Amino acid sequence: MDPIIKVNELHKSFKDLHVLRGISIEVQRSEVVSFIGRSGSGKSTLLRCINRLEEPTGGEIFIDGVDIHEPYIDINKVRAEIGMVFQSFNLFPHMTAIENIMLAPVCVRKISRQEAKERGMTLLNKVGLADKADEFPEKLSGGQRQRVAIARALAMQPQIMFFDEPTSALDPEMVGEVLDVMALMASEGMTMLIVSHEMGFIREAADRVLFLEEGKILEEGSPDQIFNQPQHQITRDFLGKVL
Amino acid sequence: MTAQTSTDALHRFSRKHIPWLYYIRRPLVSLSSFACILIYAFLLPDKTTVSTFIFYLNLYAFLAILLGWSVVILTDSDKSEYAKMLVAFFLLFMLGLLFYRFSGADWARLVHFFFNFPIMQGSWHVLFRGLRTTLILSACSFFSCVFVGLVIAVIRSFNHRSINLLITIYVDVFRSIPVIVLMVVLFFAFPFLGIFLNSYLTTFTALTLSYGAYTAETFRAGMETVSSGQVEAARSLGLSHWKTLQKITIPQAIPIVIPVLTGNMIAMMKDTAIASIVATPELLKSARELYTAKTSPTPLICAAIIFLAVLLPMVRLVNHMETRLQKSGPHY
Repeated sequence: MDPIIKVNELHKSFKDLHVLRGISIEVQRSEVVSFIGRSGSGKSTLLRCINRLEEPTGGEIFIDGVDIHEPYIDINKVRAEIGMVFQSFNLFPHMTAIENIMLAPVCVRKISRQEAKERGMTLLNKVGLADKADEFPEKLSGGQRQRVAIARALAMQPQIMFFDEPTSALDPEMVGEVLDVMALMASEGMTMLIVSHEMGFIREAADRVLFLEEGKILEEGSPDQIFNQPQHQITRDFLGKVL
Repeated sequence: MTAQTSTDALHRFSRKHIPWLYYIRRPLVSLSSFACILIYAFLLPDKTTVSTFIFYLNLYAFLAILLGWSVVILTDSDKSEYAKMLVAFFLLFMLGLLFYRFSGADWARLVHFFFNFPIMQGSWHVLFRGLRTTLILSACSFFSCVFVGLVIAVIRSFNHRSINLLITIYVDVFRSIPVIVLMVVLFFAFPFLGIFLNSYLTTFTALTLSYGAYTAETFRAGMETVSSGQVEAARSLGLSHWKTLQKITIPQAIPIVIPVLTGNMIAMMKDTAIASIVATPELLKSARELYTAKTSPTPLICAAIIFLAVLLPMVRLVNHMETRLQKSGPHY
């Protein structure tokens, strides 16, 4: 089977700072891949390059077999297939929870508001926030905001979901509710790329773990391999600090 | 907090070293001294009735007593704010009264020249016609410069380098040319290029060009306050740049921009007065014509009053909007 994401020798530099130094990965459908590593190792930049929130400086990216840097590609169509969840939620503050969720399906997928609302309510139900549909984000807790953000991404019915440190900005007691939703999605067969420091969750949910160090993939394997028999000293040091 | 503690220290100090301050601050003393001041004010001698020395002695003694009494009350933390406000107004009123009585100004002549009632009555309808022109001109210019500013801000957001350079040149140049120069050039120089603008169009164009540049900057600043995370979230959902502007950036920028825009509008309405130099029959021009026709500055005073009556509520409105915005935060 063809991989849904194929990244080939990806490079990215910000002026003098070489963040990604040749990364190649393949992700299969329904696979849950997790990226770990020290801060500044390029995990977030990698995700952001794959949906072109950052323009890579070199290398190729194929989503579903299509090179997303071809000039004829409509990047908005590509992004519509990739849901993204941010560390800082980035809910739209001038819209209620349900409006946040309805926006993209109505504007991009051109479905009717009625249908979008029904779909949105189903999703809010799924993340356990059906009663918060008409609340503005400022009235929601961090965990609730992040769950609305997940529902917003899911409303586009994406093939792939990116999570960029989804629980890092949350109070500890709210981390669980967000991870539960993510575990549910993984069990439903969503292709997920997760940047996170929640090692317990990664060990449970991920199919594959990649350890990034200085813009390169240092180590790759099943959670069991990475967490129990890390090959490199750097990996061992990192895991020793976070576990 | 620190202000509170420092006044406490002051209190302790003054209670210990100047105890008499506490006797004269008793309400009964304040009130009776107030009555004394009033009586003294009525008894103040006229310049003509007494010798110069006695006159100035009385005047300065009265001033000293009035100011001293006010200071004692205004610095008293036990008195209510309301009482202090009354005292402040009383002080202003008394000073005005003293000026009126003893400054030696010829009030009758002053009223005759500046507040001449028959001339006022004859001027109002002309001035209101001028006001109508002013209002229409500034409303048209305002809407067109908001349009120009928004269009420029939107174009600039596409981050096209060469276009942005042109925009920056436009904005910088027209923000640094005085409106009066712009109007004179448009009105007197452009006919040589074969472009004839009448006085209305000159004013409209000059105000639009100049304030369009300001408005563009205002919109840009407003749009920059919307965090990049908002834009990224929208783009990652598949919204185009255009849709993102329309649904995310601009709706969030507008509440931030509105007070500034209203401020711009006030400045612009005042600047319509400049249009009188290119013979636009707006408020100031009408007032100046009446001034020459009736050889009295009264119409100018009337014009000032009209400007005040129109613009003061708007200034208050801007203040109100700004405090409301600060209180609610940009509600996110």
